[in-house]
Amino acid sequence: MILLDIKNLTLEIESNGVLVKALDKASLILEEGEIRALVGESGSGKSLIVKAISGALPPQWIVTADRMTWRGQNLLTMTRAERRKIMRRDIAVVFQDPVAALDPSATLQEQLTESIPEEFVAGTWFWQKRRSRLDIAHSLLHKVGIKDTEYCMAHYAHELPVDICQKFMIAMALVSQPTVLIADDPTRGMETNTKRQILSLFKNLNKTRDLSILFVSHDLVAISSMADTMTVLYCGQTVEDGPFQSVRKKPFHPYTKALMDSAPSFSPDLQPKSALIALGGTIPTLQHLPIGCRLGPRCPRAQKKCVETPVSRKINQHTYRCHFPMHLDDKGIL
Amino acid sequence: MSLLQIDQLCYQPKRPWYKLAGDDGFQLGPVSFSLEKGETISIIGENSCGKSLLAKLIVGAETPTAGRILLNGQTLENNHKTQRASNVRMVFRHSAHALNPSLSIGQMLDEPLRLNTALSAKGRSEKIFKTLKLVGLMADHFYFYKHMLSDGQQQRVALARALILDPQVIVADEPFAALDPSVRSQTVNLLLKLQKELGLAFIFISHNLGIVRHMSDRTIVMHDGQIVEMNLTQTLFLDPQHSASKQLIHAHNALLSLQ
Ligand SMILES: Nc1ncnc2c1ncn2[C@@H]1O[C@H](COP(=O)(O)OP(=O)(O)O)[C@@H](O)[C@H]1O
Ligand code: SF4
Ligand SMILES: [Mg+2]
Repeated sequence: MILLDIKNLTLEIESNGVLVKALDKASLILEEGEIRALVGESGSGKSLIVKAISGALPPQWIVTADRMTWRGQNLLTMTRAERRKIMRRDIAVVFQDPVAALDPSATLQEQLTESIPEEFVAGTWFWQKRRSRLDIAHSLLHKVGIKDTEYCMAHYAHELPVDICQKFMIAMALVSQPTVLIADDPTRGMETNTKRQILSLFKNLNKTRDLSILFVSHDLVAISSMADTMTVLYCGQTVEDGPFQSVRKKPFHPYTKALMDSAPSFSPDLQPKSALIALGGTIPTLQHLPIGCRLGPRCPRAQKKCVETPVSRKINQHTYRCHFPMHLDDKGIL
Repeated sequence: MSLLQIDQLCYQPKRPWYKLAGDDGFQLGPVSFSLEKGETISIIGENSCGKSLLAKLIVGAETPTAGRILLNGQTLENNHKTQRASNVRMVFRHSAHALNPSLSIGQMLDEPLRLNTALSAKGRSEKIFKTLKLVGLMADHFYFYKHMLSDGQQQRVALARALILDPQVIVADEPFAALDPSVRSQTVNLLLKLQKELGLAFIFISHNLGIVRHMSDRTIVMHDGQIVEMNLTQTLFLDPQHSASKQLIHAHNALLSLQ
């Protein structure tokens, strides 16, 4: 069953009097029970997709899409109330900057206990309910790997280290027992042990509770440890999409190849201290987007034809947008 | 004789007045190791095990409570800022925060030269252009301000600022953490190239064990303010001895093999 279905999502914004496309026909599907990685460099539009799904885009954005649905219901035409209901009970989001996303004027205990849905709370009398809320809160914090739960809950977000806030945000997201978890860069800056703890929690919830996860990140090692499928975004365009292993082993798009080459852990034969294969240049800003395929100026395979935007093509489960893909002959056959 | 020798370095934060004697809290050291010309050492360890503090002690941003640091066999004095500042340079964690937005790149690179050398204005700008070229920037970038540069270019400027005094040792705290994959590969290549060409020695602090394994000759594992293991990188990754090293490296390998 398809939970989220986004087809050709385009987001435009005015910049110096012209409209620029921050997302240019981005597509993404999230199936029930899958862990999908959404990968791309900063500024490629990952967070914009997350905001578009959660309805958190500021009003100046112009949104168009062929399809943007949640369990078949059109997200773009539903009322705010309907949308809020989905966001409260079905889709939980861990935003990129945990400290900014938390309320600075309330302790973490207040924030967490208040967001526990009424039907999970046991007891009739207010003191029983209070006790029950606290129990739920402590056990959630334990689950995300916060050891001193009393200490954590007694403080305000800005008083705690970032990694505790990151874990706390994850607890907040899980409190409503959602169907889908969207986590925007949840492991950024985490050291390996903490990272593994969080990732195995995600994986566990995915297995035992059938939680579907959209994992937004460019930490390839983290992604490889859990993702079933992967969508690669470059500069607002989805360039490749498919089962993780097949994308990793046989990337069709030159950008995906560069991405895989950037993780030395993926190339066991690499000589220590040898140069990595790297693309030149940097990701262009919205004001200087190249026409056609946006990788063009940096792409080692680029030819004249690349000034036309490539359409998306599909082989088995694997989709790509490139005129001159790798591993395929000129008829597009594997 | 080693290029840099860290000898029994200790740091004990001052006890705040409200804490009782005996409650010592965190202490660093004693820490000893040496670094050779052209060598890269990485320091890995859990959060708040003292990695960044050690880096600060090495570059002289904090003063150790005991122990000494020798450069080419000579003790680096903490009050001799010039000698220290020009030979052991730090690249800051988040280059974006470390660069002053109100100065042009040229002015930013001029500052350490004015403070630490006797070069004339002309000599200084020649040195600046040379250094910009060295890190793969253009002469035009002299007139740019921080906000006009991409992440990768800012990282290059931070590196240029560290290189401008012709140091022998570069200390970098999480130089890769804020970088995107393609820019990170470029930075890795640039550092490897500079090391080859200039014989620079590096001390890296990083959580990215994939990069640590690729770039460093030796790796130090810190735990609770102490060095608990130090070995050739490839050996350490294959056969970690101390429980803290095992934990880190197994966690990394587990992530890789979970696929
Ligand atoms: N409020 C905004 N106004 C104008 N441009 C924006 C705004 N938010 C994001 N952008 C631009 O949209 C692009 C995608 O941003 P974002 O989704 O945050 O990228 P990512 O999450 O992949 O790092 C970037 O070029 C960014 O500068
Ligand atoms: S379409 Fe052309 S420029 Fe774009 S990735 Fe393919 S080969 Fe490179
Ligand atoms: Mg983002």
